[in-house]
Amino acid sequence: MTRFEVMDCVLLIRMSGLSPAMNLRELRDRIATCSENVLYHHFCETTLRPTFDDPDYRNDFAVWAKFYLGDRVLAERLGILDPYSYERMEELRAVVLEVIDDRLGELTMVPWVRPGDEFLFKEATTVVFDTGDRIRHPRELAPALRRMTNGSIYYHFLEALRRPPIGKDDFSTWLLEAGKEYEPYLRSLGTIDYHFHSLALLRKELVRALTQMEDAR
Amino acid sequence: MSAPLAAYEAIVNSSVVAQLRRLGKKLAGRRVVHVNSTREGGGVAEILEWMVPHMRDVGIDASWEVIHGTPRFFEITKGIHNGLQGKPVELLKKDWKIYQDVNEENAARLRPLLKEADVVIIHDPQPAYLLNLCPNRKGKWIWRGHIDISRPFRPVWKVLRTIVDKYDASIFSMAEFAQSLPHPQFLVPPSIDPLSEKNREMTPAELSRVRAESGLDPDRPLLVQISRFDRFKDPVGVIQAYRLVRKVAPVQLVLAGGGATDDPEGKAVFDEVMEAAEGDPDIHILLLPSGAHATINGLQRLSDIILQKSTREGFGLTVTEGLWKGKPVIGGDVGGIRLQVINHHTGFLVNTPEGAAHRIRYLLHHSERIKEMGESGREFVRENFLLTRHLREYLTLMLAIRSGREQRILLV
Repeated sequence: MTRFEVMDCVLLIRMSGLSPAMNLRELRDRIATCSENVLYHHFCETTLRPTFDDPDYRNDFAVWAKFYLGDRVLAERLGILDPYSYERMEELRAVVLEVIDDRLGELTMVPWVRPGDEFLFKEATTVVFDTGDRIRHPRELAPALRRMTNGSIYYHFLEALRRPPIGKDDFSTWLLEAGKEYEPYLRSLGTIDYHFHSLALLRKELVRALTQMEDAR
Repeated sequence: MSAPLAAYEAIVNSSVVAQLRRLGKKLAGRRVVHVNSTREGGGVAEILEWMVPHMRDVGIDASWEVIHGTPRFFEITKGIHNGLQGKPVELLKKDWKIYQDVNEENAARLRPLLKEADVVIIHDPQPAYLLNLCPNRKGKWIWRGHIDISRPFRPVWKVLRTIVDKYDASIFSMAEFAQSLPHPQFLVPPSIDPLSEKNREMTPAELSRVRAESGLDPDRPLLVQISRFDRFKDPVGVIQAYRLVRKVAPVQLVLAGGGATDDPEGKAVFDEVMEAAEGDPDIHILLLPSGAHATINGLQRLSDIILQKSTREGFGLTVTEGLWKGKPVIGGDVGGIRLQVINHHTGFLVNTPEGAAHRIRYLLHHSERIKEMGESGREFVRENFLLTRHLREYLTLMLAIRSGREQRILLV
């Protein structure tokens, strides 16, 4: 089988150039027209930027709805959205807009935030580089994972879900090459609910899943 | 003098330092020049003191230049600084002329170096005009705004904007501090150096000395707020919160900060704080000299709870320092404190003295929560707000700006 090339990445965040949203209507309108990168950043890149590991919600729109708009209903509806379950960002955008439109329809007034609490739209470049490290055999994967940076974990497990083959992390794609005997490994990785995990916790879960399989052999 | 990069492997995972070296390798030999207006004192000099040697450590040909100016120039740039932070100031055409002339004098000295550099990073407004004086420059120029310019005094920003909008990019600490500019505006939060005098581990003997010097009782809970005597830090509100707690618990309070007496407003606030304290022997108001890093470190480590009850705040590095010492922080619900204080996890956000008192009492009744939140806060800072992350983002930024592209994925 081919050797697994360990990559690493760092997020470089910048302002998107969109005007801040002061209320739910403005949030809706900006989401409708923003670039996919902006949507991707606020949904998918939150684990890789300086942020607390255990937030209530993983996407910035849900967090803003809860803490600044004070709309817990909307926060819950947005918070459960899994961006990786949509093949294209446009599908995710359509769902987000529908959730917000439904909520606007239920409310008698458009909720506003106080000055200073506006939603600020950002985007990022993921700078990817080769670490030079290579994994030759599936049994080396768990020890290698222990040594990986958060950037490597993000790139190979989360960011990979949006690269072809869509919906597959790099570790699983590589293990597929290893033949039938490693199918339990694949199933084990597939059971990880990464939605609530910080990257550090995700690393632990990946190592645990793979070590369990190795021990069972 | 900062510790060598290898020394940080004991604090962050060694893979983090290895990552910095890998990124550095891709920029090996690149000439990077930082320019600011002072080599000593202030947050920018503190950052450059470690950043420049660490950039060199990873293979970059980094240097640090300081512009020289007359006292009048620095009065004017202080005015620009205040104006950018929203204070109405009067700057006349002749003042801006002095600003340009002093930059011209410095450009005459620095031009050969700046024109040949691959990346020039200009810190804050003082040297910003150098860009106009270096035509035919080879490299990319980045303006690093360290201050909050979210609500500037418009006449000052209007002039400065014509200067900084010619840069290739700018960097702000937080999205909330940025202004709209016609180039990419990157966001790089500040950081602390865990091996500096202000943050290094201290021995029990050193802590005992700080306790004795400050007249603190080792047997009673200690609340500490470290900050300038400034109304936005709400020291009087902290005393009000202390009094509400003191009715039910034998706490002591330290309010420690520096640089008040040479600032008319600072002196007034200091006097207000002294008056509010009413000679209470359990309120310790300490006016510290600028180099009292070990004392600040010791006070934070001796505390049970750190307070930062600001009503307006920049990033709030004193919060980062407090969290790094493994203490829960009760902070004002403003600025960068919101990024660091997570309710029930690393501390509590509050809006009033009553709110602060309530949370102090809660924590004093739940000592296990003090420990849990302290541990959680320290790990949060380790992951996000140490200088290794700060350096990583600068290296990444230089790689991105060299590529000249803004796509989502950039393979270097």
